[in-house]
Amino acid sequence: MMSQNYEQISELLQKGNMPEVVRLCQEAVHSGAPASEILEALLSGMSVIGGKFKRNEVFVPEVLIAARAMNGGLDVIKPLLASEGVQSIGKVVIGTVKGDLHDIGKNLVAMMLTGAGLEVIDLGVDVSAEKYVEAIEEHEADIVCMSALLTTTMTYMKTVLEAINERGIRDKVKVMVGGAPVTDEYALEIGADKYTADAATAAEEAKMLLTA
Amino acid sequence: MTGKERILNTLNHKTTDRAPWVPFAGVHAGALIGKNATQVLTDGELLFDALKKVKELYAPDGMPVVFDLQVEAEILGCELVWADEAPPSVKTHPLEDTTQMLCDCKQPEPDKGRLPMILDVMQKMYRTYGEDTALYGLICGPFTLASHLRGNNLFMDMVLDEAYVKKLMEYTTTTALKMCDMYIDAGMDVIAVVDPLVSQISPEHFSSMCHEAFKTIYDYIRAKGKASSFFVCGNATRQIEVMCQTGPDSISVDENVEMKAAKAITDQYNVAIGGNIPLTTLMLHGTQQENMKYVVNMLDELGSDNLIIAPGCDMPYAVPAENTIGIAQAVRETDSVREMVKNYEAPKEDIEVELPDYQHLEKPLVEVFTLDSATCAACTYMMDAMNVAGEAYKEQIDLIEYKFTKKENIARCVKMGVKNLPCVYINGELKWSSIIPSREELFGEIDKHLKQ
Repeated sequence: MMSQNYEQISELLQKGNMPEVVRLCQEAVHSGAPASEILEALLSGMSVIGGKFKRNEVFVPEVLIAARAMNGGLDVIKPLLASEGVQSIGKVVIGTVKGDLHDIGKNLVAMMLTGAGLEVIDLGVDVSAEKYVEAIEEHEADIVCMSALLTTTMTYMKTVLEAINERGIRDKVKVMVGGAPVTDEYALEIGADKYTADAATAAEEAKMLLTA
Repeated sequence: MTGKERILNTLNHKTTDRAPWVPFAGVHAGALIGKNATQVLTDGELLFDALKKVKELYAPDGMPVVFDLQVEAEILGCELVWADEAPPSVKTHPLEDTTQMLCDCKQPEPDKGRLPMILDVMQKMYRTYGEDTALYGLICGPFTLASHLRGNNLFMDMVLDEAYVKKLMEYTTTTALKMCDMYIDAGMDVIAVVDPLVSQISPEHFSSMCHEAFKTIYDYIRAKGKASSFFVCGNATRQIEVMCQTGPDSISVDENVEMKAAKAITDQYNVAIGGNIPLTTLMLHGTQQENMKYVVNMLDELGSDNLIIAPGCDMPYAVPAENTIGIAQAVRETDSVREMVKNYEAPKEDIEVELPDYQHLEKPLVEVFTLDSATCAACTYMMDAMNVAGEAYKEQIDLIEYKFTKKENIARCVKMGVKNLPCVYINGELKWSSIIPSREELFGEIDKHLKQ
């Protein structure tokens, strides 16, 4: 597999051309390229999109369509990654907190985390503290991400943190929070490990937390 | 100049005596009368009572009647989930799994959904305050309404099926025009098209798929002789210019947008700009002083032409009333508030203040701390209420007002730990802050102290 094909995969992913990304990934697999390299190409494309999103150069539709292309490519190489023994760099449980049905931001973060090479378990919206705790334990998650768009639902993040503490698993999982009303101060106040203002930074910080 | 003239002049880009002020008290209005969000968004009498309180405490030049972007969605078949301290959220999207269009028969009519209640309150507001206050009818913008109907798929559709998005936008534009008709007939002076999601798409996508819809709506409002505003949320810095190109009379932005840069653009298009007092960090969690300072700084930086002072978006339910009162005062009496803020921050060693010996008073001492009861509406009401007690109890109590306009009174406030104005202390103890007590409550409290 030539590096220019990897570049092509990355570029087509950025344009959101899923059929072509899938085709090129299949071609690469057939030509015997290691799945880990194809994965790198996909992730690098997503990382470019993340950077542009952070800088306000692309917006939600472009990210969603790129993520769709990435997922198409990932589906092609997933079985091979397993057989090559390539593991995700970490596991994340993510959801929008109880009482809150907003999911665009949470979805964007989930996509960026996937695009950063993490395994993402998406619990959806309106997620209770019990559900977070169960999922963290079941998947042995390294990170839990909570999202809230409302000042009134944001306070539930604290409830989730209390549940995590009570369960005695706080030292096993890092806690990240985000959403329009959330701030660094709030993250600090409730004892979360990290607040980030956008999805791309969330993915960068998640990687940092895993290597810290 | 009345508040209404101030708003309409600003929206028509004529001069005003000062920048107008529009508190976006949606569900927060409920908090002022101790009712939850669901109550004020479904019960017309409670909503009207809450709005009266907004008018009384915050002295607005213009005010929205209902701040709820789900009114249209509910009528069009979206299931809502209600909350105590926030507007309802859309739970289900009728077009999530189909690209078919909704039937035109579903479009809003005056007898559908919550419209009978809303239109009734609008008419009452028009009769009560229509003469001097600009009333804002808020409608859900066509793009956000399209997302309510279609869900997140809408974003993918923009890339994969532009024709479908345009068709859906035509439908939601029809909805918007119908809402304009009803709200204008009910007495609204300004139609605000609230479309938070516009900040989430590229300016190119906005121009190709949304421009037509918004332009149609603003042209329509103008043809009906009314003014318009385009509300957006989030970081809409990149979208401001294409928003201006749709021809609204004003644009309202939140704290994610840098006002000075945005105003440079809106000024080019001769569109007024409103905003952008931070909702959470400042209005909800900041102090009264910080809120006043923010507004004074904003006015000093931007001047008052083509500018409307407003919160970034719908105010959080639990915003302390005193913060909004402080903002109102900063808009209305900018010069004196600038002094207050300066004096509050200055060292006060040079001013000696002696506090009364509260433990050994001869009679109950009622101390009223105000921004200035002559100019701050909430302070006037608070002082009036206390004066009623003063009249009734005469020599049995001591009643005194400390206006924050005087340096020594600021020093007194600092020494006593007074945080928010207006407020009332009895015998050195904080009794009421911002919310004016009823006569019964006030007299009851004084009686208690008389017996001691």
